[in-house]
Amino acid sequence: MTQPPRQTPGGYHGRYLRVDVSDGQAEPAELPGDLLRRFLGGSGLGAYLLLREDVARSEPLSAATSLAFVFSPLVGSPLTTSAKFAVVGKSPLTGRINDALASSGFAIAGKRTGFDAIVVTGRAPRPSVLVIDDGQVRLEAAGRLWGLECDAAEAALRARMGAGFHAAVIGPAGERQVRYATISHDGRHAGRGGSGAVLGAKNLKAVVVGGTRLCAWADAAALAELGRELSRKSCGPATAKYRELGTAANLLAFNRLNALPTRNFQRGSFEGAARIAPETLAAARHKTRNSCAACTIGCEHIYELRPGREDIAGAAVRVEYENLFALGPLCGVEDADAVLAASRRCDQLGLDTISTGGTIALAMECVERGWLNAPWLRFGDGRALLQAIEQIGARRGLGRLLGEGSLRLARAVGHDALAVAPQVKGLELPGYEPRSLQMMALGLATGTRGADHNRSGAYEIDFSDRADRRHPAPEAASLAAGTEDQAALFDSLILCKFLRGVFTDVPAEFARMLRAVTGWDVAPDELRQTARRIVTAKKLFNIRAGWTPQEDTLPERFLNQPLPDDPEAVLTAERLAALVSAYNLARGWRPDGQLEEEHLRQLQLDDL
Amino acid sequence: MTITVEFYGLARSRVGAAVATVDTPTGSSDLGRVLRELAARYPGLAACCQGNGQLRAEYTANIGGRQFVRDPATPLRAGDALLILSADAGG
Repeated sequence: MTQPPRQTPGGYHGRYLRVDVSDGQAEPAELPGDLLRRFLGGSGLGAYLLLREDVARSEPLSAATSLAFVFSPLVGSPLTTSAKFAVVGKSPLTGRINDALASSGFAIAGKRTGFDAIVVTGRAPRPSVLVIDDGQVRLEAAGRLWGLECDAAEAALRARMGAGFHAAVIGPAGERQVRYATISHDGRHAGRGGSGAVLGAKNLKAVVVGGTRLCAWADAAALAELGRELSRKSCGPATAKYRELGTAANLLAFNRLNALPTRNFQRGSFEGAARIAPETLAAARHKTRNSCAACTIGCEHIYELRPGREDIAGAAVRVEYENLFALGPLCGVEDADAVLAASRRCDQLGLDTISTGGTIALAMECVERGWLNAPWLRFGDGRALLQAIEQIGARRGLGRLLGEGSLRLARAVGHDALAVAPQVKGLELPGYEPRSLQMMALGLATGTRGADHNRSGAYEIDFSDRADRRHPAPEAASLAAGTEDQAALFDSLILCKFLRGVFTDVPAEFARMLRAVTGWDVAPDELRQTARRIVTAKKLFNIRAGWTPQEDTLPERFLNQPLPDDPEAVLTAERLAALVSAYNLARGWRPDGQLEEEHLRQLQLDDL
Repeated sequence: MTITVEFYGLARSRVGAAVATVDTPTGSSDLGRVLRELAARYPGLAACCQGNGQLRAEYTANIGGRQFVRDPATPLRAGDALLILSADAGG
């Protein structure tokens, strides 16, 4: 085992690896300590690397673009939920920055290659597997791996490579460059934004990592104690929802609040919600609970596809709120068999369930309105849902168009499809009805990767007494920015956001962890500035990629028209514009969202 | 007066019921009084509450699907529906 140079902060190797898969050339590059301190790891370090590589001006599916697999100082530490990595690139769906997180052994093995990040550029001459083995790089022929579904591909690579290696793979959807294809590892996905398509465009079926290179910790004893403390807290009441019910517990509550997007956001409540809620499904179908590597929460609830069916005996799927909503109410489907089967097919093909459901739901509405000639694709038809997913994964039939995402589908369909396309910047909306949750509407409109519930936690404001969720004042916009800053810290340090309830002061408690890991004398205020830097760095990327202020809004459907099931839930264009402007000012940006040079200098972004 | 209480998610699991009603002898009540009544009736819900009639941080209350409230002194009116659900809406 080799140790990094002494001057490298604890928790880091102090370098990243740049691999050009066009010719297999690999080049390590230094990451100085002051730079690591500015961007930490994960999402933050990924944003820095993309700016450094000038990815903003590249075409997302070109050989010239780069895709970064980024680890963090906490990976490999005793801190629970720290086995995470970020996949950062330019999204083929949005043309904007995309930072997707995934979990488990790939993060630990990836960091053991001896690098804090792996940046992949170029295009392999033939379908290949990129192997990084203890710092050594090689390209192997993908051979029969190409064409395999995600789970089969990963199993085959485990058999080929042996113990100690972990693979991040794409499925058939990524190979065919479906714009919302995922990168999958251990049943989890770097899901949103189409990173799988970027890898597929590079002719890479998988990235496989393994090694023996460990990092030192600045204060191992303190870190061990922090690890014990965090593990204890992670098993307490703050995480009970995830442990006992999972995120699917949202379904009936959202339905009651008219916040459950139904039939392409036509309504905020679904008459069939009870049929697919975990309260109904769990008794007959709940099979087991899983967790990522190095996680003590265990939030993954696994359900059987059809109890008692011997032909698919053992077939099971992880159930989350987002896949239930997107493949259930959003498409009008209340058949639990169909929703669970659809979710599993998305996982196997390597498709983001939210974008899959959103794009199919738009298509269903277009058929309903007579704008799209596909009479078999109707709201509520579970078999049609499954058929559409197969066509997307195979890129045949209607799947050729559906695989482009809802924005491009709407443009192709014409009529008023753009007004009802459930997307922002091209990324399909998650399961939060904007008219019912108007702080979340702000988060969806302004988020750097598009309509996203992970980079903005503004729904927390809606679910509190700090703002009126249907009539928020512009002053509440700063609270939404605060949730974004918190998310940036979680996504860069990296720790799972399901832990957030155990912390009373995130910057202060994260500072303690960083001190023990790195030896830096980090103060909470420094981390608050770091969060603002990371969010602004992502905005800077987007500006260079062509962002305009007109993108920070919602489709017409969500503006000025009340939700049919809740007449008080109306979001005017004026209110949204006022919220966006207030948010931008709260960030220190211009009211229109543009950045001032002085602000970039204050955030130490002026050298980028 | 009668307050209808709806339980969602973990609160429903703790209580073992989706709905309950609370009758108050006077013409007015407040959130704290209703929570104390429910905690006495449902031991599982007592674990969701702090001693002062306030919900623990992991839970939140909503009146009629409209406003979210935490203050135990929040008044409740006859016919109000009180929703008890997780404060964490992450998906």
